[in-house]
Amino acid sequence: MAPNTGFSAKSVVPRQAASTRGGLPRARSVPAIVSVLGAAVIWIALLGPVITLLFHLSWGSIRSSLAAPGAWDPLLTSVESGLVTLGVLLLVCTPLAWMLARGRLPFPRVWEAGVLCSLLLPPLVIGLLLVFMVGPYTWIGSLLAGLHQSGTNTFLALVIAEVYESAPYYVLGAQAAFESVPARLEQQGSLLGDRPARVFRRVTLPLAAPGLAMSLAVAWARAMGAFGAVVIIAYHPTGIPLQIFTTLQETGLATALPFALVLLVVALPLPLAAYIWSARAGRRRRG
Amino acid sequence: MLAADVEVDRREFTVRVALEVAPGERVALFGPSGAGKTTILEVIAGLVPVKRGSVSLAGRPLDGVPPWRRRVGLLRQDPGLFPHLSVRQNLLYASSASAGELDPLARVLGIDGLLGAMPARLSGGQAHRVALGRLLLAHCDALLLDEPYSGLDAGLRRTLTALVGSLVAARSVPAVLVAHELPDAQAFADRLLVLDRGSVLQSGTPSEVVLRPASRRVAELVGYLGFVPAEGRGLAGVHPDRVIPGAEPSRGLVVDGVVESHRPAGAVWEADVRAGGALITCRLADEPTGPVTITILDPPYFDASGTLIPDNAPRTAP
Repeated sequence: MAPNTGFSAKSVVPRQAASTRGGLPRARSVPAIVSVLGAAVIWIALLGPVITLLFHLSWGSIRSSLAAPGAWDPLLTSVESGLVTLGVLLLVCTPLAWMLARGRLPFPRVWEAGVLCSLLLPPLVIGLLLVFMVGPYTWIGSLLAGLHQSGTNTFLALVIAEVYESAPYYVLGAQAAFESVPARLEQQGSLLGDRPARVFRRVTLPLAAPGLAMSLAVAWARAMGAFGAVVIIAYHPTGIPLQIFTTLQETGLATALPFALVLLVVALPLPLAAYIWSARAGRRRRG
Repeated sequence: MLAADVEVDRREFTVRVALEVAPGERVALFGPSGAGKTTILEVIAGLVPVKRGSVSLAGRPLDGVPPWRRRVGLLRQDPGLFPHLSVRQNLLYASSASAGELDPLARVLGIDGLLGAMPARLSGGQAHRVALGRLLLAHCDALLLDEPYSGLDAGLRRTLTALVGSLVAARSVPAVLVAHELPDAQAFADRLLVLDRGSVLQSGTPSEVVLRPASRRVAELVGYLGFVPAEGRGLAGVHPDRVIPGAEPSRGLVVDGVVESHRPAGAVWEADVRAGGALITCRLADEPTGPVTITILDPPYFDASGTLIPDNAPRTAP
C-alpha cells in the first residue's frame, strides 16, 4: 500500500505552480537576482512619496488633525462622490468601451482620440473648460438651475469633475478588457441559442470582469485623488484632496499630511480588492 | 434537410454554392485554403450576410433569422470553450441542454471524468470532445465542422472523426465538414464537394472524386502530381499513390521513364520520373534509380481542355 503523503498526484501541480507564481524562491541565477534587485529599486523609488509621508507623520499630529471638528466630513464627501462617479462610469462608459472594442462605431480612431483628449489636457484646464460648459451662465447651467441644481460648487459639480478626470482611464482600460474577450466565444454563445444581451451577461462580462475591475480601480484612485478640475468647479463641498490643500495653506504641512494618509488608507482597499479578485479569477480559470 | 443556395461577395471573388444535405448525411467541402469553404459554413450559421440566395433547415427558411434562433452548431479548430465555466457548465450552456442527457453523453465521449475540470486543464482532444458534446446537448438541427481537428495528431483525428460520424448518424442531423486535407474529408463524408475560388468544381462520393476527378484542376486539388500523354486516350492523370512498379497492362497505363530524383517519404520512396516528355511524381516501395517501367493504376483521362473523358467515351489524343 502506498504511504499516505497527504496529497494526491493532482494536488502536486498547483503547489509547484504556486511556488513559482506566489513569490517563493524563483531567482536562482545571478541575472535573475540582479533583475529582482532592479525591480525592487524601481518599486521602492515609486513608493518614495508614500515612504516619505510615513516618515513625516507623528501620532500626535495625526490625532490632533483628525480630532478637529468636521475633520472627517471631507472624507465622507470624497467616498460618496467617488462611489457615485464609479456608478456613472459603469453605466455610461461601459457600453462605449464595449462598442469601441468591438468596432461597432464608424471612424473608431476619431472616437478614441476624443476619449484621449480629456486625458491629454491638464485637469486644471479641464476644470476651467467645465466652467464654460456647465457653469451658471451656460445653457446646461440654466437647465440644471431649472432642476434646482448647479454645475459649480455642489456635490454634482464634484462628481462632474471626478467623472471627467477619471473617465478616460476607465474607458481605455475597459476597452482593452473587452478586446481581450475573443469575438468567437461571443459567436459561440450566440450559436448556442443566446441573444446578444444574454451572451454579454454570460460570456463577455464574466471574461472581461477582471480587466473591468482593474480599470474601475484605477478610475476610483483617480476620482479619489482628483484635484485640478475639482479646485476650479467644486471648491465646496470639500473632498479630501482639497482638504489637504486648504489645510496646508491655513495651518501648514504637519496638519495637512495626516489627511493624505487617510486618503491613502481609504482609497487603497478597493484597488487592492480588485487586484486580488482579478488574480483569483485568473487562477480559477486555470483550474 | 439542410439546403443552401447562396452567393456571397468576397474581396477576390464571389462564393456561389448550391448544397443539399439530408438528415444523417455527411458532406465534406474540400478545397485549398481561401477557396470560400468557411464562408459557406458562416453563411449557414448566420454569421455572414448573403448577397443573394436562401438557406433552409428542416423546412424552416433561415433567411433573416439571427444565429441564436437557427439551431445550427458550428465547431471550429478552436473548440471555443468558455474558459470561465467548468466542463459541466460548458456542456450545459445551451438553454435547450438537458442535465439528464449529460452523463450518458459524457460517457460516450469519454469525458465523464472531466466534468468538474476547467477548460484550461484539458488537452486538445479532450477540449474538442467537450465542444462536440456541447453542440450535441444543444440539440442543433445541423452540425457544421470547420476543420475542427486540424491541430490534432492523426490518430486522435481519426478517432474523433469516427465519433462525430457515428453521432451524426445516430441523431440523424445533416453535417457539413470543411477540410483542406483530403484524408480528413474522405474519412468523414458520404459526399464530397470540391471547391476552388468560390465555385463547386465537382460533387460526388469521395472515391468518385479521387478516382475520376471531373477536371485537371480537381485532379490537382485531390493530389494528382503529373499528367502523362497516353496515345489515343488523352492525358492520363498520375496520382503518386496509384503507381506500381513493373508493367501490368491489365491494371492500367504502362509507362517507361527515367528517375530524375528521389527521396524518402515515410516508409516508401517518392520519385520524380520523366516519362513521355512529362514529369510525374510517384511513390514506390523500393528505392528507384535509372530507367523504370511503372503502371499507373486505372488512371483518369482528360481531353485538351482539361475535362475528364468518361470511361465509356471514345478516347482522343490531346
